[in-house]
Amino acid sequence: MTIGQRPAGERPIVEARALAKSYGRPPAQIKVLDGVDLTIRKGEIVALQGRSGSGKSTLLNVLGCLDRADSGTYFLGGRDVSTLGREAQAWVRLHYIGFVFQSFHLIARSTALENVELPLYYAGFGRSEREEIARGLLERMSLADRADHVPSELSGGQRQRVAIARALACGPKLLLADEPTGALDTRGGAEILELLRELRETDGLTVAVVTHDDTVAKMADRRIRLRDGRMLTEEQYAAEAS
Amino acid sequence: MLRRLLEVASHAFDTMMRRPAQSALTVLGLTIGVGAFIAMVSFGEGARRSVISQFEALGANLIKVGVASVQQTHGRAAHPLTDQDVAAIRRETTSIRFASGVVQRDADATRGGKHHWTRTYATVPRFATIHNWRMSEGGMYDDADLARRAKVCVLGMTLVRELFDQTDPLGETVTVLGGLPCSVVGVLASKGHATNGDDLDDVVLLPLTTATAYLGEGIGYSAIEIEPQSPALLETAKTEVTDVLRRAHALSPDDFDDFRVSSPLEVVRAVDRTTQILSHLLQSIAALSLLVGGIGVMNIQLVSVAERTEEIGIRSAIGASPRQILRQFLAEAAALSLAGALSGVALGMLVATIVAAWMGWPRVISPVGVVTSALFGIAVGVVFGYLPARHASDLDPVEALRHE
Repeated sequence: MTIGQRPAGERPIVEARALAKSYGRPPAQIKVLDGVDLTIRKGEIVALQGRSGSGKSTLLNVLGCLDRADSGTYFLGGRDVSTLGREAQAWVRLHYIGFVFQSFHLIARSTALENVELPLYYAGFGRSEREEIARGLLERMSLADRADHVPSELSGGQRQRVAIARALACGPKLLLADEPTGALDTRGGAEILELLRELRETDGLTVAVVTHDDTVAKMADRRIRLRDGRMLTEEQYAAEAS
Repeated sequence: MLRRLLEVASHAFDTMMRRPAQSALTVLGLTIGVGAFIAMVSFGEGARRSVISQFEALGANLIKVGVASVQQTHGRAAHPLTDQDVAAIRRETTSIRFASGVVQRDADATRGGKHHWTRTYATVPRFATIHNWRMSEGGMYDDADLARRAKVCVLGMTLVRELFDQTDPLGETVTVLGGLPCSVVGVLASKGHATNGDDLDDVVLLPLTTATAYLGEGIGYSAIEIEPQSPALLETAKTEVTDVLRRAHALSPDDFDDFRVSSPLEVVRAVDRTTQILSHLLQSIAALSLLVGGIGVMNIQLVSVAERTEEIGIRSAIGASPRQILRQFLAEAAALSLAGALSGVALGMLVATIVAAWMGWPRVISPVGVVTSALFGIAVGVVFGYLPARHASDLDPVEALRHE
């Protein structure tokens, strides 16, 4: 499958221009994204912040090809993905994107190993390859001895590490995390943050994190603040804070 | 490709086995539908064969001429059936192998102090062959007995039971037709009961000549029995016999027949048609219940999709395409339908066996019927499983993930 044009040189991973999205019909229309321009370079860790309803989760979903903007352009790794159909979007999610959620979103009746194997299954890997890759990832997450446990037998931090292992299974370029520490205690949260930073170093992973937690945001290279579907400049934010 | 298919299938079976109770509920309708279908096909065929074999026991390759009733002749007295009629049929037809008069009387048969009201047939020896009687003891009287008007008889099983306790009836004397003592030369093998409940074994046979000598000449025959050259010539033979008898009875073209020509084969065909209509009816009802079973699969799969909305969202988020999700749920429907069809086959065969044993039918289970209904059941399940699968693959992943 070919998607848009070939990547050229060191183009940013994410180049989004004038993204707009609204829900409802004109009289009661709500603009969730209202002209967002966003560039994320390879290896960057970016925090997306804003009050609830600011559009940060929708932006994350659009970046992850889980949702689509009504207008604007979005180049992912140099390829135009703003007009892809549902099948092609799924393909991009499978090969370019890894998702991590606040509530983990593991499949409850499957073991940790089976959860990590799942993307590999959809990517067409055979049974033995899948198991080998998934076990390797669980080992990296220090969960080798938990491979055959179902999520309910794991702690919150362990579950989130299983989810990260699953997100990494197909070697994504962009990791998208929606409040990844939201359901964890301070120590568990710190562990996850440490892990994300490590992955940036070892795998050259680019990370976008939606968070309301300042400790998480401080670890990012850059903070992006959203209000009513628009990005605030530092000055605007400073003016607002005071 | 095949490896992939096997994996999809094995995942579907895993999912099914992880929820045995729900899976059983899902396919219950299909199981009953397939089972009913197989049982109904088997009932129909079993009943049909049982009825046909009973009529064949009466003699399939046979034409019977009887005296017409007053209604049938529209008021005119009918000619009795005589030796002249039999002679004319033998002489003037080409499609007939054999013709003979039969005298039938219901009368007492007695021995010692015991008596039993029974059906008495005075016939030629060939009667036994035409009517598929086998001998259980002794033999049929022969042409020599017929020529010398021998006082001999052959008993049906019921008479043997009623008149003899344990003792061997051969050579004993039984008084038939109310006063004619005959020596027993044979016993007929049992034919059991007819469809209408008649005891086919409640019968005694004696030579035609012996009976006419006893009852007096010129009494007329109760019937003339005719055997065509072959079953294929049945219709031709009937036409010929009708023509001959109309001439022999000197009927003008305007007169109605004063005799009745019939054959058990006609009855067999009529019964065959009736049972076939009945079994088609039963099969359509069973097919309908299969459709209802399909709707059951659809309902429970829809519930299952609703319950697993979050899971579908997760699969979608990590990169499962709509087509892969559609395939997963279709495979689950197929796995469920396969299980339902297989248990339906078992159920159907069990019911067919029990009912056949109960009704005394032959147990007829046609492999083609079993395979057809199983495949039909699977097809119904997959077709009805398509809508829920489609529903699952159409889910918006963002919405689905919000669902918990």
